[in-house]
Amino acid sequence: MSSRRATSISMSLAITPMIDVVFLLLVFFICTVHFERSEEVFVMDLPSRGATADPLALRDPPITIEVAARTEAGCALAIHAEGVGANPTSFDELSAVLKGLRRTKDHEGLYESTHQVLIAPSRAAQWQDSVDAFNAAVRAGFANIGFRESHP
Amino acid sequence: MSLIHTRGSARIDSNLTPMIDLSFLLIVFFILVARMGGDQAPPVALPIPHDGAMTPSTATPRIAVNVLAETPSPAVTIGTRRFGTAEADIPAIAATIAQRLRADPKLSIDVRADRTLTYAQVEPALRAIGSAAELVGGTKVTVRVCALGGVSDGNE
Repeated sequence: MSSRRATSISMSLAITPMIDVVFLLLVFFICTVHFERSEEVFVMDLPSRGATADPLALRDPPITIEVAARTEAGCALAIHAEGVGANPTSFDELSAVLKGLRRTKDHEGLYESTHQVLIAPSRAAQWQDSVDAFNAAVRAGFANIGFRESHP
Repeated sequence: MSLIHTRGSARIDSNLTPMIDLSFLLIVFFILVARMGGDQAPPVALPIPHDGAMTPSTATPRIAVNVLAETPSPAVTIGTRRFGTAEADIPAIAATIAQRLRADPKLSIDVRADRTLTYAQVEPALRAIGSAAELVGGTKVTVRVCALGGVSDGNE
C-alpha cells in the first residue's frame, strides 16, 4: 500500500537558457540586418547581328533619343525619327512625346510599339540620365529599346 | 491580530510567454529577410528612375555585370573576376560572359552600373555583352538593365 502512495514528481522546464539564446539571436539579427530598395530591371534589346539578323527584313529607321551631358540647366534631350524632331525639356515630356508617336487602338501614331527605339547618350551623359531616357521609352509603351553605340 | 499579518510573503510571477512569442516572431522575420552569404552582386548605387516602369527582378539565373565607380578608373566585375573598362579589356569581358553563356544559355545578363558613371564608362560593358552574344552565336540572349525600385525625389 505504501508503494502506491508515491509523491508526484514536479517537472519544470528551464526556459532561461532558451530565452538567452533567443535574445542573442535577436540582437545578432537586429545588428546585421540591412534594408535596401528592391532591385528591378528593364529588359534591353540587343540588336540582332550577323547570322542571326534577317537579311530580308525591312529596316525602318529607329526612333533615336539623344541624351546630352548634364548641365546646371538640366539634361538636354532630342528625339529623331523619320519626319519627327522634338526637344523635350524633361523625361516626363519625353515620355509624353514618345507616347504620341506610338500607334494604339485609340490613337493614330506613326509607330508600332515594337518599333525600335535607340537611346543615344553622349559619351559624357550620366548613366542615370541614360536609364531615365530608357524608362521614358518604356513608360511610353515601346518594347524594343536598346542603347546605340557611341562613335568616337 | 489582523489577517494581513498572517499572510505569507507575496509572490510575483512574470508571464514570459507573450515575450517569448514576440521574440520568436521577430527572429523568424529576420531569418526570412536576411541574406546570408554574398551573392555575385556587390553593392552598386544603381540608377533610380523617376516614375520607374521597371519589372521586378525575378530569381532567374543571371550573370551580373557590375560597373563600379572606383577611383582612379571604373571597374567591371563578373563574379570574382575583375576587369578595367578600357578598349583592351572588352575581349576578356566578352570571353568571360560567353563562357558562362555556353555553360547555361538560359542565363540572363544583368547590367548593374553606378548611376554616377558616364555613358562612356558603361559602354565598354555593353559592347562586351554584344560581343559575347556574337561569340555564342545565334543564342537568344536576354540583357537587362538594373535600377532601384521606388520613386526618386528628382534630385538624384
